[in-house]
Amino acid sequence: MENSKKNGIDWILTLSTLGLLVFGCVMVHSAGSYQAKVWYGNEYYYLFKQVLGVILGIFAMFALSLFDYKKLKKLRWIIYITSVVLLILVFVPGIGVENYGAKRWIKFPLFTLQSSEIAKVGFVIFASAYMSENYEKMTTFKGILPVLISGGVICALIILEPNMSITVCVAIVMFCMLFIGGARIKHFVCIGAPALLAVPALIIAEPYRMKRLIAFLNPWESPLEEGYQLVQSYYSLGSGGMFGLGLFNSRQKYLFLPFAESDFILSIIGEELGWLGCACLISVYVLVVSRAFKIAKKASDRFGAYLAYGIGCLISVQVIINIAVVSGSIPPTGLPLPFVSSGTSSIIAFCCAIGILNSIKRYGDAY
Amino acid sequence: MRLLIAYLSIAFIFILLAVRLFVVCVADSDFLVQRGNEQWYRDLPLKAARGEITDRYGNVIVGNKSVYTVYVRPRSVTDPQKVAHALSVLLDLDEQKLYAKITSSTVGEITVKKNVAPKEANRIREMAIDGVYLTSDSQRDYPYSEYLAQVVGYTNIDNEGQNGLEGYYDKMLKGVDGALLVESDNKGSEISPLYSYVSPIKGAQLTTTIDINVQAFCENAIKVAKAQWNCKRASMIVMDVNDGGIVAMCSTPTYDLNSLPRNDINMLNAYSKNSMIVDVYEPGSTFKIFTTALCIEYGKVNENSRFYCPGYRIVDGQRIKCWRSKGHGSQDLSEGVMNSCNCVFMDLALSMGVEKFYQGLRKFGFGAKTGIDFFGESSGLLMRESSVKTVDLARIGFGQAVAVTPVQLLSSVCATVNGGYSVKPHFVTKISNTYGNIIYNYEKTTERILSESTSKKMRELLENVVSKGSGKKAGVSGYRIGGKTGTAQKYENGVIAQGKYVSSFVGFAPADEPKYAILMIVDEPSSYAYYGSIVAAPAVSDVFSKIFEYEKIEPTMSESIEYTDMPNLEGVSYSEAVKLLKSRSLNFEVQGEGDIVISTLPLGGERIAKGDVVLLRT
Repeated sequence: MENSKKNGIDWILTLSTLGLLVFGCVMVHSAGSYQAKVWYGNEYYYLFKQVLGVILGIFAMFALSLFDYKKLKKLRWIIYITSVVLLILVFVPGIGVENYGAKRWIKFPLFTLQSSEIAKVGFVIFASAYMSENYEKMTTFKGILPVLISGGVICALIILEPNMSITVCVAIVMFCMLFIGGARIKHFVCIGAPALLAVPALIIAEPYRMKRLIAFLNPWESPLEEGYQLVQSYYSLGSGGMFGLGLFNSRQKYLFLPFAESDFILSIIGEELGWLGCACLISVYVLVVSRAFKIAKKASDRFGAYLAYGIGCLISVQVIINIAVVSGSIPPTGLPLPFVSSGTSSIIAFCCAIGILNSIKRYGDAY
Repeated sequence: MRLLIAYLSIAFIFILLAVRLFVVCVADSDFLVQRGNEQWYRDLPLKAARGEITDRYGNVIVGNKSVYTVYVRPRSVTDPQKVAHALSVLLDLDEQKLYAKITSSTVGEITVKKNVAPKEANRIREMAIDGVYLTSDSQRDYPYSEYLAQVVGYTNIDNEGQNGLEGYYDKMLKGVDGALLVESDNKGSEISPLYSYVSPIKGAQLTTTIDINVQAFCENAIKVAKAQWNCKRASMIVMDVNDGGIVAMCSTPTYDLNSLPRNDINMLNAYSKNSMIVDVYEPGSTFKIFTTALCIEYGKVNENSRFYCPGYRIVDGQRIKCWRSKGHGSQDLSEGVMNSCNCVFMDLALSMGVEKFYQGLRKFGFGAKTGIDFFGESSGLLMRESSVKTVDLARIGFGQAVAVTPVQLLSSVCATVNGGYSVKPHFVTKISNTYGNIIYNYEKTTERILSESTSKKMRELLENVVSKGSGKKAGVSGYRIGGKTGTAQKYENGVIAQGKYVSSFVGFAPADEPKYAILMIVDEPSSYAYYGSIVAAPAVSDVFSKIFEYEKIEPTMSESIEYTDMPNLEGVSYSEAVKLLKSRSLNFEVQGEGDIVISTLPLGGERIAKGDVVLLRT
């Protein structure tokens, strides 16, 4: 295996990622310092957490860059089972942590781990490994079934937390994986139709989702209740205009915009750096995703190609959903912006993903 | 192939999102910023202080003091129990209600109490309780308490002028409110140091014609009169004879402007009404001044004219009594004025005829508003010229069947004795804005009503009333003062109200070159004495003597006062009593139609100045 090490890491990808991470620290501090001071009496509360996450993330990223991705294929069952166990652990009293009415976190001595963030990456690895070994069978329904089952189990566990946004995210990534794996369009329709039908059912199951949906359609009708979050996000983006109010000059961060440091950090970015700031950020994401797709295209084996592609999709889907929520294009749902939003688990998980991409490039033999 | 499709799809979605962001960020920006401003800034109104009202020398009559408004922002309160307890004790509020308000409120801010005194406000500030805030406000302050209460008027709880000068000049006095835009977080806590400050502009300052010292003399004089005569109301006006400026104006009962009876609206309305401007009364004998002046002006009478009073006149077959039923006998004009003989003035009025008399009265300004800078001025009541019958003409001649406002009467007296020039009564001479620029200056307008010689003649006639006649009590030893008494019966619902009088005295000094004119009105004196000469004149004397001292006007006559004892006249016949009084050079008023003196004022044996006026009851 040592002999196959021919290529360097993807510096454009790595530097872009590091740039996003540093930018994220700055923005998390800008958006969250006031709230941190009011809530925790320490304005650096979010910044410290974020820096810790970034340090761990960078460490993980370089560690995985040096780790031959092909070994992940062998470890696929371990990875998958670990993911599922972590997802189950959040429901165990004393281990799981409940917050905002949802059980999504596992308590560790120094930090809390959001299982679903790990599971997303775990699923991509597992699916890539399966599809690369069974690529001939992917045109049959039987062939795609293991992907559907493994994804379905993860989705089911996440929706039970409940966390609709990550469920949708995993589901979409699963379809992306099947798409690249060569699944037939008619199979998509067969699976897609029930999935689409499940959405209204899930909405009706939780009344707050219905309210959110109505609020999304006209947030100005209830600007102090259901529409509040979206209206506040609009105020942020609107006051930013083209060039923004300048770094650290957000007014919405003064407790007006909830989750300003996490799911809605893009609103503060828009407010402080304007549309141009947002556009630059989107460009960097496009660059990162492009590199992932390039790595996928040039990967030396199917596993590497699927894996790189899956990671690219994962990043894309999450960025797209986040921006769509913040800009009021889809109903509000909580999903962090990769690399930038506050959230240790998310940062580490995405850094691992970038590390895997580098590894695919380094240990591939196409270059 | 599928990789490319996926890639292009993703890229396409990113472009769509960038466009969507552009719409929100840039296209909707103005609308969103406008909406957002409402939550980003807390608008603390900064009330502009009202302009001061000063007397002619700049003494502040109406000033300002700081008061505080106490607010609670429920979301910033950490210990509602403590807040409710502390505030309810300090501000005298119901603790339970306040607690309920704080804990159940959905609004950002509760106004707990307005107009909190600096002492309480300081204690609240020292306690520094979370969620309790203070803003300072300006409220009216009256250094002279009840002085000029009916003139300056008052402001409502929001510091807006309601009546009096506060109401009339409200636009000038009120200034322009400012604002403090405080950038605050979602809980209402201020985010320093970003704020914008719009400075309030203080209202303009009014300089009035009032002389606070003279005002003080008058306030004391009417209080004494009110107590002495137990009247319904005592009022006094001091006017600058030459330009009509109100030097002092007061009325009692009154109230302390610093503690308005805001809860009792009827009482507030009654006490704050300026009856000297808005109410009319039948002037009685003081009106004879104008009958005389016009008659002299028209050349219908001169010092050689003689009149005979048998105690009544028959006019158009109607018998109209003189106030003295026994009659005044034969008199010349000067004696007629001194005696205030009704017959003389009936003759004078009839000699002029309705048309000429009315023409003159209108020139004086009767039947029309004087235009004084005050709301609600009355124009008085002058009968329609076409419906004035001879009987009415005769009555108007001596001051009946006509109604005037006190300020109207006094300004006409000023015109009569100042050389014949009309004056316009007014309070405000100058308005200067907060930057010191003068934005209004009173400009004197005048026209000649009487000739110089008529005016001079009138001064002489009226000086005689004080020096020799019924106005003696208005005199000040060594000074020349002119004046006229007046006693009128009151009407209620069109009929004479028995025992209800309006007693008045109008005087001016110095008599040869008048500077001040004073009108004293005692409304419904309830003691047996009701003659203006006895009830109203002493107050005028009192005020004049203080003015002379204050203005350092030297006496022009070295008159040594001679004293005599009041004879004991009880049970003495009327004619005997008159003889006794004349032998001691005492003037007198008679009340009743009997032949025997029942009582006198003062009582027999009391030491009084020669020439003083005493009262006989028969």
